[in-house]
Amino acid sequence: MNYNDRIEKILEKVQKAPRYTGGEMNTDIKAWDECPLHFGFCFPDTYEVGMSHLGLKILYGLINKEEWSLCERFFMPWTDMMAMMKEEDLPILSMESRHPMADFDVIGFTLQYEMSYTNILAMLDMGHIPLEGKDRGEKDPIIVAGGPCAFNPEPLADFIDAFMIGDGEDVMTELNRVILERKEKGLSRTECLKNLAKLEGVYVPSLYDVTYDEAGIIRSFTPNCPEAPETVKKRVVVDLNNTYYPEEIPVPYTEVVFDRIMLEIMRGCTRGCRFCQAGILYRPVRERSMEKLIDLAEKLVTATGYEEISLSSLSSGDYSCLPELIRELMRRMKEKRVSISLPSLRIDSVLKESLEETQQVKKTSLTFAPEAGTQRMRDVINKGVTEEDLLDKVRDAFEGGWSSVKLYFMDGLPTETEADLDGIADLARKVVNEYFKVPKEQRAKGLRVTVSASTFVPKPFTPFQWEAQDTIPVIISKQDHLKKVLNIKGVNFNWHEPYVSFLEACFSRGDRRIGRVLRKAYEMGCMLDGWNETFRFDTWMEAFKACRLDPAFYANRVRDRDEILPWDHIDCGITKQFLWHEKEKSQRAETTKDCRKGCNGCGLQRWKGVCRYANAGCV
Amino acid sequence: MRMLAVFEKSERIRHIGHLDIQRSVQRGLRRSNLPVAYSNGFNPHILITFASALSTGACGLREIMDVTMKEEVSEAEFLKKMNIAMPPELRLIEARAVDDRHPALMGTLRAACYDLLIRDSEQAEIILTAIPSMMKRETVMAMRKTKTALKETDIKPLIYTLRGEGSHIYTTLALTEREACKPGMLMEALKREAGIPENEEVRILITRTALMGENSEGKLIPLEQL
Repeated sequence: MNYNDRIEKILEKVQKAPRYTGGEMNTDIKAWDECPLHFGFCFPDTYEVGMSHLGLKILYGLINKEEWSLCERFFMPWTDMMAMMKEEDLPILSMESRHPMADFDVIGFTLQYEMSYTNILAMLDMGHIPLEGKDRGEKDPIIVAGGPCAFNPEPLADFIDAFMIGDGEDVMTELNRVILERKEKGLSRTECLKNLAKLEGVYVPSLYDVTYDEAGIIRSFTPNCPEAPETVKKRVVVDLNNTYYPEEIPVPYTEVVFDRIMLEIMRGCTRGCRFCQAGILYRPVRERSMEKLIDLAEKLVTATGYEEISLSSLSSGDYSCLPELIRELMRRMKEKRVSISLPSLRIDSVLKESLEETQQVKKTSLTFAPEAGTQRMRDVINKGVTEEDLLDKVRDAFEGGWSSVKLYFMDGLPTETEADLDGIADLARKVVNEYFKVPKEQRAKGLRVTVSASTFVPKPFTPFQWEAQDTIPVIISKQDHLKKVLNIKGVNFNWHEPYVSFLEACFSRGDRRIGRVLRKAYEMGCMLDGWNETFRFDTWMEAFKACRLDPAFYANRVRDRDEILPWDHIDCGITKQFLWHEKEKSQRAETTKDCRKGCNGCGLQRWKGVCRYANAGCV
Repeated sequence: MRMLAVFEKSERIRHIGHLDIQRSVQRGLRRSNLPVAYSNGFNPHILITFASALSTGACGLREIMDVTMKEEVSEAEFLKKMNIAMPPELRLIEARAVDDRHPALMGTLRAACYDLLIRDSEQAEIILTAIPSMMKRETVMAMRKTKTALKETDIKPLIYTLRGEGSHIYTTLALTEREACKPGMLMEALKREAGIPENEEVRILITRTALMGENSEGKLIPLEQL
């Protein structure tokens, strides 16, 4: 039986078979034999999660647009499917033409969150590809990875041959050309990797040697060949209007997490929240023009038939002509019955006017992210939002007919005290009061205030990259305290178990050595760690023990200023000096202004013409 | 006016459920830019009905949708635009423009024709030999799943035609709003007749080949021709 018949047999028995069937609109496959280069795009989580991801759609379209390259998708199968595939000795197959991974020239993983790392190993294993780069032969594909987590590539250094740092659409085609050259000229794997290392924004971990001191802190990190640069600079798309954006995207048959058109209105953020990694990594802020966005929206609606467009970015409220954009989109989409939604509303930039316009289409719950409960704490994290701002916006929302509000907070932030936790409850109470201040006949029924608290995870390339995460017992006691003080009528409190956050902290700031733990945990059965039902914390702790590494070294340790951090050889554009300066200011609860109000000298001013708010020579 | 369109649900997407197929067809209609009519009200939706829900796991060669158009469209244009707008797995085969007063499809549906492929040829042989003896029985009992319970039903009067050939069973089974014999019920009865233990798995591929209505002479003819 061929692969097709064999997978069809399994699909009769598996749960949620539509995850694996393929054949969706706009995935018409290119002829395998007519394309010299085959790229397997792997999303290391389930179909429903992967098909909600904008980056996949951009790169899928970009690679398939080139005549000489073809892109097919792979997703992480669920446990039942995996067991049946194992039983049938069936390798993981691409969604489109059902080719096994080993038939591709390049396999690319997108790294969206640390808890998907075991899935990478599982997928490679199901693809019959050696897990570690050093064990791969001349016939094996080149394994690459990109995405936000690639900025600290070290935990995956053993498993990934080359990392793409920065905006993927900028480097993708160049990388594919180098890999095509390997195929056409019959270059060795090593030669190909060295050629990849010559590309700006590509990091090949095997070309660097690391030494550690007795405590496990990095002593030296050095290139071991002339092709490898000392530091790898991230790639930046300077003009979003002239870069590739797909005009048709796959439309799944079944409902996925974000089942709509995602229109990226801008990239980057100027706010400078000190906990936020994306806010640093995606700098500088770049906007797509209104004309371009309207053109894309119309083309995407025609190509997909979707009923909803969400404007996507880190801080959509900061888009310079947001009300005009929304008004124009709504005007054009009205006849096509397409609704417009704004997913990440920042409370200090929501314009009352645009609130009223969104409600005209759909009235869902409004989300605000004050992140911390007291002004002092918000100053520490540089979340430039005041209580007054928040309450104003909430009042507007209640007066405008909303009755459901979500508030996002973090616990375990640096310098946090009990007073800061109590502040969360105070704020929730004030939000409830705002609702009751609106005359009964004027407000919508059924007040629902949902308070969510997640545990702070210090991330690389943030001012908090040197900080310790609270230990698990401390987090639990803080959450218990929150449960007590948030017992307020009309308020629901959600919190996340600290165990996942703890592991996330280990891997987000992990070094090369922690890759051993990853492999061990995978071999002990850990995978799909982002899912409650499959996450096995105890096994993870056993894996750390077996590898003789202490997770607290990664999660709960304060780093010195001059410590070589595992990601120091990656240049994200923002200097370590700026981040340290920000960390010091945070300890004094001093805020830093929005870049739009003047350059703060984060380091991007060194790269000429990249940041529109940069003026060289400041700070 | 309304458009009755015959479409195919391919083998590859047979596991996609009816609701998802409905949504996919609606998105196809939106992509096609054809002048479809929308319902009034707070959440307007395309005015479309399907003659019958095809179960998850089954393919359909001639499924039927009924789309209300707000402007006149020719059958050829409808077909052409829809086949550009639909994935190859949901191909349109025929379209027939009818008057708004044309009876609703669901009400005129009487039966469905199926091609049941038994994957294992040995099992197929045993099962096919059981057809004549089963059809000689006065009653043929099978369990019918209702919303709340399992109910034993006599399916004999619901089997209009039944014959075997190679590894295939070709059959016409009653399918109305009131009563229906699902292919699974027929297979259950055939398995019992053939002496195959209940717990033995028989893998089949169900293809619904046509939806039938009744003409004025009481004869079953394809629903879309009615």
